[in-house]
Amino acid sequence: MKTNLPRRTFLKGVGLGGATIHVGLPALAAMFNASGTAYAATTDGAKREVEKRFVFWFNGNGIPEKYWIPRETGPDFEFTPCLAPLERYRADIHVITGLDSPAARLPGPGNSHYPSMSALVSGQVYTGRGAGGPSFDQVLANKIGGESRFRSLQIGVCQESFGEAIQRNLSWADRDRPLPPEMIPHRLFDRLFGGREQGWIDRQRSILDSVREETASLESRLGAEDKQRVDQYLTSVREIERSIASLPPEYKQIVEQPPEGGDLKDWPRIARLQSDLLAHALASHQTRVASYMLSKCQGLSRFPWLGHTAQRHHEYTHGQVETPQGMRILRDICRWHVEEFAYLVAKLKSMPEGEGTLLDNTCLLFLHEHAEANAHKNNNLAVIVAGHAGGIKTGLNTRTTGTLGDLYVTVADEVMKAGIGQFPTAEKKLSEIV
Amino acid sequence: MIRIPRACAALLFSACLSGQTTAVSDPSYFAKNLYPALEKAQCRMCHNDNGVASATRLQFPPEDASAQEITSFGLRLNSLVDPAKPDESLLFQKPTNRIQHTGGERIRAGSAEEKTLRAWVGYLASAKLNPELTAAPKRTTPVVLRRLTHSQYNHTLQDLIGDRTHLADQFPTEDFVHGFTNQAEEQSVSPLLAEGYNRAAQKAARTAFIGGDTRGLIPCKPTGTADAECRAQFVREFGARAFRRPLNDSEIRLYDKLFASEAARNRNFIAGAQVVVEAMLQSPHFLFHLEGGSDGRSEAYRVASRLSYFLWDTMPDQALFDAAKRGDLLTPEGIERQSRRLLADERTRAAFDEFLAQWLRFDRLRSAVRDRRLFPEFSDELVSNMFEEVRQLFEHLVWEDGDFLNFFKSDYAYLSTDLARLYGLNPPASEFSRVKFPRDSERGGITGSGLFLTLTSKPSETSPTERGLFVREHFLCQVVPPPPPGVNTNLPMNTDDQPLTNRQRLKIHLSSPTCAACHNLIDPVGFGLERFDAIGRYRPKQIVTIFPTFDELKGDKTLKPRVHELDVDISASVRGIPNSDFASPKQLGQILASAPNCQRCIVKQLFRYAMGRSETTADQPVIDAAVEEFRNSRFRFPNLIIFIVKSNAFRGGPEE
Repeated sequence: MKTNLPRRTFLKGVGLGGATIHVGLPALAAMFNASGTAYAATTDGAKREVEKRFVFWFNGNGIPEKYWIPRETGPDFEFTPCLAPLERYRADIHVITGLDSPAARLPGPGNSHYPSMSALVSGQVYTGRGAGGPSFDQVLANKIGGESRFRSLQIGVCQESFGEAIQRNLSWADRDRPLPPEMIPHRLFDRLFGGREQGWIDRQRSILDSVREETASLESRLGAEDKQRVDQYLTSVREIERSIASLPPEYKQIVEQPPEGGDLKDWPRIARLQSDLLAHALASHQTRVASYMLSKCQGLSRFPWLGHTAQRHHEYTHGQVETPQGMRILRDICRWHVEEFAYLVAKLKSMPEGEGTLLDNTCLLFLHEHAEANAHKNNNLAVIVAGHAGGIKTGLNTRTTGTLGDLYVTVADEVMKAGIGQFPTAEKKLSEIV
Repeated sequence: MIRIPRACAALLFSACLSGQTTAVSDPSYFAKNLYPALEKAQCRMCHNDNGVASATRLQFPPEDASAQEITSFGLRLNSLVDPAKPDESLLFQKPTNRIQHTGGERIRAGSAEEKTLRAWVGYLASAKLNPELTAAPKRTTPVVLRRLTHSQYNHTLQDLIGDRTHLADQFPTEDFVHGFTNQAEEQSVSPLLAEGYNRAAQKAARTAFIGGDTRGLIPCKPTGTADAECRAQFVREFGARAFRRPLNDSEIRLYDKLFASEAARNRNFIAGAQVVVEAMLQSPHFLFHLEGGSDGRSEAYRVASRLSYFLWDTMPDQALFDAAKRGDLLTPEGIERQSRRLLADERTRAAFDEFLAQWLRFDRLRSAVRDRRLFPEFSDELVSNMFEEVRQLFEHLVWEDGDFLNFFKSDYAYLSTDLARLYGLNPPASEFSRVKFPRDSERGGITGSGLFLTLTSKPSETSPTERGLFVREHFLCQVVPPPPPGVNTNLPMNTDDQPLTNRQRLKIHLSSPTCAACHNLIDPVGFGLERFDAIGRYRPKQIVTIFPTFDELKGDKTLKPRVHELDVDISASVRGIPNSDFASPKQLGQILASAPNCQRCIVKQLFRYAMGRSETTADQPVIDAAVEEFRNSRFRFPNLIIFIVKSNAFRGGPEE
């Protein structure tokens, strides 16, 4: 087992057949300042490499390009109305446009949102049910997530959609295997920071041991396909087993528990709560790879806080969007998305880590399933890379000619140093961003 | 790196070969040359059992067809060949659009593919065919491993340990596949779901023993913490209900050990029982339908669970377990006897309401919104009324042994006062009592219901396309091919200068042959329903409302919306169904009710729901027989249910 994470202790548990389970936990001393209210800079004199984190950040439908894409390329670009909330973080972001998603245009089933979504996350053709292969964050998590309490985390906010799997999920373990996001803040809190007594942990261990034993013995009696399904369950049980180890109770002091009640459709409120929890999950090294789905693919949210309630998100991207008024509504909506992204960027930047901040060790990738929303455009996609992990170039607007796959391989291998080597549709690395 | 879909691979393949080979010497020519060309032309998209051309004589074998199946398919095409005049054969004339073909010209005149086709038609016209090769190969019915659906989970916990808290409502939402959320294909277990099981098991086990064994789960009185006899009895009896079959020795040992150590640690007998409940609720034997085993006894338990989960949406009751133990469920007669007992129970209603809700996609209406400026009367309550109306119609037909085709052609409905007002009728005698439509009403059956008409509309206007698609997919079981990638699917905007009816706006679909091929099948079905608006209200004319923009309002705050009333042309037909001209929901319902395709579709939908999977080639005989039975019973739904549960496909287990 690779142990390049010195600021950790390992909690040991004994699994079935005496196999030892290691769960990485951050050493408390290094994580808190004297008052116990924030993650403190390491007191360790020697410079060590802090682990890099990745966030796959998505919101549904597309953008109004003229209000979103900056006109000038290079460092001196002017912030467009949609991107304005990020202006304060100019030095922390890199706008990249011109990315192609060729797999979205291969013949296959589905309306244009579904193939675009499958191509966006996996670089492969929509199957008719789900993504054509594992999503980028999962490819990454398989390489670098193995030592964390959670191999990866999926977090969601807005829930409205037409309800198909391809619309509701950003992360895919594999072809047709969605990893649904946790949408409820207090449940997410409970997973991450819920208190666990040692007695409870021991009890869970013995229960899960028996579940694993039964599942494993069952597998030998099943046909190939059934075996696969039971095996997925076994894998999931193993993941639970790994995550039942709890964080020390001191964490509760700094991470506020979201209320169980409250308006669970108040998306701006939920978005902030989820962003806060995500930031703390990354800060406490519980995971290195997370996906955050602000709204669904072909999302159908309404926007009472923006004053736009006559229609839903997807309808606002078509029809009246061809009028100046409709275009301005879509501008407001997309600006709100950017605001929420900016909130997370700011949050990470406010959390000290090592000699800098959490943002210095994180790479965020902000995407939509389409560029120009009305036209369902899946070439010339516009994305934002944020953070400073691995020395990403920032403060720029770059027009490139690569594919999404090119971007993913560049981020995975040059920024995250994960060594994935390849990804569907990738042909070259994008030297512009590193 | 990009996965090349079959169609593209076929393109490369046939382009290389077809130029060189024109003389056909043996049957393998078809699989090598013509089949790839037909796949490239995407004939299968419509010509399959669930395609829009399902009523024609040409049905492609499944995509994963073996070489043998392809060869026999190629030879059986001789039924579309005229031996005397090969060039006038349907097999040649249709795909080249020499005679009118709904799918248009799939094979271009003068192309290499056309040469290949002609060569094969020529071969079929002259060859003497070996009947062994032309016989369709037998396929075995697939058996799939299913897990408890979320609603089965809730009901099972209620029956097993008295938990009514609907813990599964917290699990990640289930996805629709083949029209239902209970399909095995979509039942992968994600980590989030596994965590949900983990958490639900903890909660359920804790609640079950709050204040002691108040729910009477422990069948004996323990003499102390370590009462081995009572412990074993609990494990055996509770386990047999949780796993829905008797436990084997190693299972008993496993849980006995778990019980003993937890009871000892807590010095409390009940703590042991609680940990067993918590563990069993996470066992694959509880979560998956694994009731069957290799011996005959287990087969009976498998059948017991299949029956109760299909008919009651929950675990077997004691009488059903007893029947399994006696071996009563190993014969069709025994199954019928138990099924009739189950069908007589109230629980069946809830279980089949769920079938109805999924078949008609109630979920889509539950999340629907309407432009409040245009439809101020649209509310959650109205939507609930719409559900209830259709539920009542369905329940009356199914459980009062009515002719189920009335689901499509009824000239009455079960209405609330609000719905009656919406429909422009006098209020019912009591809420949701039967109201007969006036003789000249254009309303009738499911396609005239507020539910259907609203479900298939957009927030501010009806959508003939959505309505047509819904009819094709849900009532005719036809999968309509999606628009090709990259097509702009936007319709022209309505303006003050030129307000257009939906029919006029949809004309754009006919402007390109690619769009027209499919939209000709879809849109016209919706045109006949255009006198009913986006919330199912009758409208003699289409109302187009154009609201002033913010900018216009800035100039003049008193500006009012401009309203245009447009005449609508409601002449319509369902292509593929002969004599299907219609001009109202009522007439559409009558056409559907008497269409063999629609009758067969009802059977298929129930089959999919019952089996947790889509039907395959191997299931065709069962489906044919079920359709026959349904028809002979004059469309009595319970007869169809009984026929399905008695079929081998339903009872059958894995071949072990």
